[in-house]
Amino acid sequence: MDFSTTSTLLTWMIFTPLIGAGAILVLLALRPLLRQALLDNLARAIGVACTAVVTGQGLILWGGFRGADGALQFVHRLVWIKQWSIEYFVGVDGLSISMVLLTAAVFLVAAIASVPWWGRLDDAHHPHFSKKKVPGYWILFLLLETGVLGTFCALDFFLFYIFWEVMLLPMYFLIGIWGAPPRVEANGRVRGGPYAAIKFFLYTLAGSVLMLLAMIAIYHNSGPSTLADGTASPHSFNVMALTQMFRDGTFAGASPIFGLAFAQAMFLALFIGFSIKVPMFPFHTWLPDAHVDAPTPISVILAGILLKTGMYGMLRFNLQMLSPAMVWAAWGIGILGVINIVYGAFVCMAQKDLKKLIAYSSVSHMGFCLLGFAALTPQALTGCVFQMFSHGIISPMLFLIAGVIYDRAHTREINGFGGLAERLPEYTGITGLAFMASLGLPGLAGFVGEVLVFLGGFGAADQGFRVLVAVSAIAVVITAAYYLWTMQRMFLGKLNEKWAGLWDMNWRERLTLYPLAAATVILGVYPAPIFNLINSSLHQVLSVVSVTLHAGR
Amino acid sequence: MLPDLAGLRGGAAILPELVLTGTVFAVLVLDLALRRSARRGRVLLLVTCLGLAAAATAIAGVSAGAQPLFYGMLVADGFALFVKGVVIAAAVVGAILAALSPEIRRDQLGEYLILLVCLTLGMCLLAGARNLLMLYLALELVSLPSYILAGFRHGDRRSSEAALKYVVFGAAASGLMLFGFSLLYGLAGTLDLPGIGAAVVARGLQGGLDAQLLVVVAVLLSLAGFAYKVAAVPFHMWCPDVYEGAPTPFVAFLSVAPKAAGFAALLRFFLSGFGAPLGFPAPGEFPWPFVLGVLAMATMTVGNLAAITQDNVKRLLAYSSIAHAGYLLMAVAVGSPLAIRGVLLYLPIYLLMNMGAFLVVMAVHDATGSETVDGFRGLGARAPYLAVVMAVFLFSLTGIPPLAGFIGKFFLFAAALQTKSMFFYAVAVVGVVNSVISLYYYARIVRACFLEKPADAQAPVRVGSPAAALLGALAVPTLVLGIWWGPLLGVVEKALLLPR
Amino acid sequence: MGFEFVVVLLFLTTSAVIVGIALWLGRFLRPRLPSAEKASTYECGERPIGSAWFNFNPRFYLFALVFIVFDAEIALTYPAAAVARRWIAEGRAWLVVAEIVLFLAILVAALAYVWGKGELDWNRDLAGPEEMP
Repeated sequence: MDFSTTSTLLTWMIFTPLIGAGAILVLLALRPLLRQALLDNLARAIGVACTAVVTGQGLILWGGFRGADGALQFVHRLVWIKQWSIEYFVGVDGLSISMVLLTAAVFLVAAIASVPWWGRLDDAHHPHFSKKKVPGYWILFLLLETGVLGTFCALDFFLFYIFWEVMLLPMYFLIGIWGAPPRVEANGRVRGGPYAAIKFFLYTLAGSVLMLLAMIAIYHNSGPSTLADGTASPHSFNVMALTQMFRDGTFAGASPIFGLAFAQAMFLALFIGFSIKVPMFPFHTWLPDAHVDAPTPISVILAGILLKTGMYGMLRFNLQMLSPAMVWAAWGIGILGVINIVYGAFVCMAQKDLKKLIAYSSVSHMGFCLLGFAALTPQALTGCVFQMFSHGIISPMLFLIAGVIYDRAHTREINGFGGLAERLPEYTGITGLAFMASLGLPGLAGFVGEVLVFLGGFGAADQGFRVLVAVSAIAVVITAAYYLWTMQRMFLGKLNEKWAGLWDMNWRERLTLYPLAAATVILGVYPAPIFNLINSSLHQVLSVVSVTLHAGR
Repeated sequence: MLPDLAGLRGGAAILPELVLTGTVFAVLVLDLALRRSARRGRVLLLVTCLGLAAAATAIAGVSAGAQPLFYGMLVADGFALFVKGVVIAAAVVGAILAALSPEIRRDQLGEYLILLVCLTLGMCLLAGARNLLMLYLALELVSLPSYILAGFRHGDRRSSEAALKYVVFGAAASGLMLFGFSLLYGLAGTLDLPGIGAAVVARGLQGGLDAQLLVVVAVLLSLAGFAYKVAAVPFHMWCPDVYEGAPTPFVAFLSVAPKAAGFAALLRFFLSGFGAPLGFPAPGEFPWPFVLGVLAMATMTVGNLAAITQDNVKRLLAYSSIAHAGYLLMAVAVGSPLAIRGVLLYLPIYLLMNMGAFLVVMAVHDATGSETVDGFRGLGARAPYLAVVMAVFLFSLTGIPPLAGFIGKFFLFAAALQTKSMFFYAVAVVGVVNSVISLYYYARIVRACFLEKPADAQAPVRVGSPAAALLGALAVPTLVLGIWWGPLLGVVEKALLLPR
Repeated sequence: MGFEFVVVLLFLTTSAVIVGIALWLGRFLRPRLPSAEKASTYECGERPIGSAWFNFNPRFYLFALVFIVFDAEIALTYPAAAVARRWIAEGRAWLVVAEIVLFLAILVAALAYVWGKGELDWNRDLAGPEEMP
């Protein structure tokens, strides 16, 4: 396998936000010369501009990506630390391209949502996060984008790990500083941004240290490889080379670990690390806290992108690299996926806080990804990746919607509203669309992924998956139930007079919500653009898996 | 009849030590000569730093060689030279910290610097000692000035308490160690480290159970002294009290340099004295990888769990330094070339982040008079620079990429996993779980800095420009080494080119 | 036969004479002010009678330390003296001299330091600075 540098586009894409962050740092150094308001606005402008540039680069990437060719494209490869055969190796294939594009788009939306321009903002009594420590916010925001893009593009395990962890620090501060202030709940527990931030941090770090161990163990057991500059090296961090080694049986001789075959032990360690991020039951408990207490754009990124990094990790490492062990674990993952779907849906029924409801609905919807991932059929896997993408545009919509009402009413108590449709028709309309998309109404993007997962699950080699599909189908009904019920409680009926003073959406909100809504509709009707990007890579991966799948039977 | 003078050759190899001795002498004389001069402090600091810099230059000039010097007392191999470099760098930072700190009275700065350089001299000797007697003497040369420096805040009860605890613990540990050494001498008939291993193994195999038991007892007793020096369980109890009571600039130094030298001596004691093990030794040999591995797990777990509940930042960092000793012990237990590389790489990184963190603690204490976590509340608003570099140091201590601390930990864990033995897999898992625990308490400080508001509106915390520059000098490498660590690794590998 | 011991006899006689001369000269030079304190068994020590459980003056430690310095000096200069003849024969007299001089210089510097710092001053106020916060 030869992966030589073909393009530096990805590198530019990954580091453009970092350059922006550097520029804001320079501005901070010049603080004495600038008025605070000017400094803040410049930081915002740099932030939005950088995310826009990244989106533009994403469009170029989309234009240049040959979907029919399942191989790696836009590869940029350099030697980084020679002694450890660590490389700077980025590239995209069907597994990652859709996520890279999604990242670019969602960050642009989140950036726009972080700017208090273009519209009325009632922050006399409730200081808005977008006016607090503005330069710091944007530095971290852009750093986060670099981390996420790097995670999706990195094809060197070490580099992947670095980017994976780079996502953590900005997220910690973004939730902690700009999130909800600490509050004491009825049961005496202190909750709020700082709590949610450290919880998120601890959970994800716990997962990633396991990943670190797995990474080192794989490295030590790997065979020789060739670095980008042609030097031979005894071991490898190169994901593509490692994948090949796992297929060639290089690791067959590695000693078992705690009674598990090497590949299985590695699979478990990596899987736990990724599943915390997805989040998979029972590691999901950080998610409601983080989502509820993060500021709107950060919730958007968290739900839209960060959850997908976990799923992407599973695709890249658990499925592509450790395919034999994948067959071994498929059943367990399928069951956990179904628990996610059903449990998430039931918990949603009980939620009183709109944002918490949306958070748990994410748990439920990511379950579909897990189920499709576990089923190991072309349709189910396509469904999984499509679900990742569609959830990546629908859940940001939902969180933006929650943000719209919170910015006005300063509460998200579902039962406290009522009859809002009368005062806020436009908002009601877009909320209706988002809810319908999320519950999987045909014709909208959410439907495509779910139905493909169901179809693929039914066709799985293992007949037992039919039971799993049947069980998770129940959850679809519950999903419909909680969304419609929420719709009813918030928007229908008599207007709660308390909210007579609310006003409809402003341009900033339209700017963020309409593009996402449009994408939801278009992809619901015509999902082919995404399929064209992802299918051939997925089929290549699956062809390897199915060899093991059928060999074992 | 005296032996041939050839054994005394090697004067060039101990040039760094000679320079340090000269520095002590010069500072001593100058301190006396300038005692009525207003610029005394500055001159003394300058002379000390120049002396240390000269010693560092001398290290660069020494051609590393594994051949023993002075009848086998010392060796100046790459390993020793590297540790000496780290220790001297720590001494430079330590000297500047002392000069910046109001805890060290101006008229006593000279004394402080003299003792600091003496201590450094001891550590340099410790790094190169390959004879038990030399090792013991060097260890005492490290310990004695440490006791004085721990109690350097005259008239302060906590400082005196710290010094007393340090002395009592130190005396006990060094007594145990000396007893262990004497047993080893009795068993092996030599104090020469490489000679001991061979002799002990031979005796142990011949002598049956009694002799083996004696070896175990002797090594365990010897271990006491090292465990005390690096603050490992069960000889860690002095650590929080001393860290809390002793002057902060000394604590910053104490947490890094003696630990580095202690680990160097420990590594040499085991590797040189008992042969390099990979995996487990044959039956009849002393299973020290196992003993050290268990000790490592206990040390990191005790350190991290105890740190969670600390409110005093110095105590918190004391427990954190115990935990870090645990991580390092894990690598010592492995003892492979990669593990040694890992330890050597970890030392300078640990120097940067830990001394940096203590410098921030010092600056905050000077400005607010508080050493508690609550004293850091709202620091992000009151002193953004301090708070940001503190976050860098603390997250680096946690081992989060892309900060240097991650690279250090990466090597330690890589060494443990390279053994491919179940036991070290388990140790590594305990280690990473501990890393996660450590995040909790490090993040408490970060949280206080950024996520909490000060209890009452307080004025900005001012940092003097020397302190700010020093912080920058520590923080920038902490960031850079996390991404670009090839050169440092190159230096480490060059240091290890020669066999021990 | 036994002639070697003449050296010993000479040594003893000389020392006795020197001591005698010193004491005899002292009679003329010293002031004569006898007191109860001076007449006690340990002229400048603690009281020989009474409880031994009391705080010694910490100044004794300083003096003891200084004393040890000179004790160590003798212990460490002796080996040099022992090999001096052989080294001189080998033409390395300068090495012995340099070693001893260097060693003594360090000791003298230390003594000077203690002296300069006023640690040898018996009446120095030993109480440290006021309690630090």
